[in-house]
Amino acid sequence: MNPSIAGRLAAMFALVALLVFSIIGVALHRVLERELARQQREELTTKLDIAALMVSRAVLPEKWVGVRAKLDTLAASNGGTRFRITSEDPYYTYGAPLPDEARLSSLAGMGSVQLAGREHAFRTLARDIPGAGTRPPTQLIVAIDSRPYVATMARFAYALLAWSAAGVVGVAALGYWVARLGLRPLRRLSSEAHALSPQRLSQRLQIGCLPQELSTLAGSFNGALDRLEAAYAQLEAFNADVAHELRTPLANLIGQTQVALSRSRSADQLEDVLQSNLEELERMRAIVNDMLFLARADQGAHALETVPVRVEDEIAKALDFLELILDEAGLSARIEGTAVARLERALFQRAVMNLLHNAIQHSVPGSEIAVRIEGDEAQVAITVANPGPPLAEAHLARVYDRFFRIDSSRGNSGENHGLGLSIVKAVATMHGGEVYARREGSCNVFGFTVRARGPATSPPPIRLDATRPLAGAPERA
Amino acid sequence: MKILIVEDELKTADYLVRGLREQGCAVDLAHDGADGCHLALSLDYDVIILDVMLPGMDGLEILRRLRAGKQTPVIMLTARDRVEDRVRGLREGADDYLIKPFSFLELLARLQALTRRGRAQEATQLEIGDLKLDLIARKASRGGQRLELTAKEFALLAVLARHRGEILSKTAIAELVWDINFDSNTNVVEVAIKRLRAKIDGPFRHKLVHTIRGMGYVLEPRDEAGA
Repeated sequence: MNPSIAGRLAAMFALVALLVFSIIGVALHRVLERELARQQREELTTKLDIAALMVSRAVLPEKWVGVRAKLDTLAASNGGTRFRITSEDPYYTYGAPLPDEARLSSLAGMGSVQLAGREHAFRTLARDIPGAGTRPPTQLIVAIDSRPYVATMARFAYALLAWSAAGVVGVAALGYWVARLGLRPLRRLSSEAHALSPQRLSQRLQIGCLPQELSTLAGSFNGALDRLEAAYAQLEAFNADVAHELRTPLANLIGQTQVALSRSRSADQLEDVLQSNLEELERMRAIVNDMLFLARADQGAHALETVPVRVEDEIAKALDFLELILDEAGLSARIEGTAVARLERALFQRAVMNLLHNAIQHSVPGSEIAVRIEGDEAQVAITVANPGPPLAEAHLARVYDRFFRIDSSRGNSGENHGLGLSIVKAVATMHGGEVYARREGSCNVFGFTVRARGPATSPPPIRLDATRPLAGAPERA
Repeated sequence: MKILIVEDELKTADYLVRGLREQGCAVDLAHDGADGCHLALSLDYDVIILDVMLPGMDGLEILRRLRAGKQTPVIMLTARDRVEDRVRGLREGADDYLIKPFSFLELLARLQALTRRGRAQEATQLEIGDLKLDLIARKASRGGQRLELTAKEFALLAVLARHRGEILSKTAIAELVWDINFDSNTNVVEVAIKRLRAKIDGPFRHKLVHTIRGMGYVLEPRDEAGA
């Protein structure tokens, strides 16, 4: 399991606290060390001053006796302070010899010496006292035990460590609590998201009271929900449309068959009913096949068997097929432009055929349908323009929707089941392109683009946004 | 023609058997994969019609076992309209496939195409009743009277004549004449037939082109007067 954010934050807080406490601890330790050294020096200096004054006043041998007595009292009974006086005259000496005396007395500052039988080193300070009277020049050394200072230092260090450790633990605990407090909006968001269900599609996450960092996330999430809801709505509408489209031929089939069976009929009459039924069934088959095709395109299917073709040749082939109905409708058609693209020919012809068929059905007799091919390196646009009455903007935006018919009364005319332009859109998608519809002068213009080098090798994400706006100019990248 | 049908759907199997028997074929039927496989391997058929989704052993498995020893032509029936399935089926050695729902006419056309493969060259002259076609010179006459046909009309007539007595669906005609191999949802074929009829049947008492409602068209001389 991944560590929780609160846990990680607490650990990071603890690390930071450890770092800060360490730096402060080291600094405090140094300060104390220096301060204790200063105190030692002061103590030594004081003692040295007193002793030096006494020694400098002893100019006669009888006075020296007094100096010795006073120094005896000054040296504490516990042996924590030692005095040592050396001179050329053995009479004017005092105290037990210290190790390394020559070095100690030559030092200007504090020295350190380890005495036998003592646990801690002694700090020393030395001074030369010039001779006076019968007393020759003498060297005075004062030594004090560093034990109390070392002990203080050690107690301080222990205390520092203990409190730092406690501090780190405390910061970690508090940090965890603070992090959990700070993450409360996230938990609320999560429980809200958890409560979303397909039954309540319009529900959204509450953004208002969320902190900045989360409101962006919740916003994107809500955006995804919007698109899902739209796709869901489209799917439901599609299902309803499918049911409706199939219901009409089914009702015809059932009704006709019931009427036919309600009394005895001649073989001819029965044959007639069967033939009529067959027509309805063929229509249903066409709808089902087209819906399967669209479903495949929805699942992100791509044109697979693409070959480089001359686009105008494929369009010419479709026009050749449609020649008779163009003629019947009193229409003519022309192709402008040229391009080469990688296409799955049957799919492409089907799309072109549907566009042309749509144009034929909505053209006034005597007019000319123009097929324009505009292509560059990246994509090829195929545009079919036919003169005709203008379509409402709202209709233009929906012409590629499944089962959309501008004139709903022509819905059940045998050959038009309202999927033709949806198939154009599916074919365009399968070739990495898109569809568009617009008004140009006195013409209604429908068209689609395909990628010139065939569909992208990696499948694009399935488009959920049903209300995607139609593309603008075909030249657009 | 001897045909094996391996299909578990009872209604589908029933009409396939009846329809093909009425076409004069000898038909065996297996309802599951194991039976089908046994029959396919032990008897010799002209064509095997194989459903992909079968209980016990699926159609592709049967095909694999069959191809290990026999080259009997196979038509696969599949409800899965997926490219992978087709590619897989054809790679396993199926000769053709049909996607459900398919029309019976389409199946007949595919069967004929499969069994016609490798047959001797077709005739260059065709005669149906008093209609004469010269496929090389691309000329047609009826009752000695020259028919003025456009290139497309001649192509359509030639297709109907080559399949004389056979019902051709609109999709099949679009494919054979215009090389359009998908359902175009247009009435091009109706218009073409209407125009062809006006030329070859219009002035004559006995009609040759007949509409089979809901199915397609057939070119054949019929005896009944005024049919």
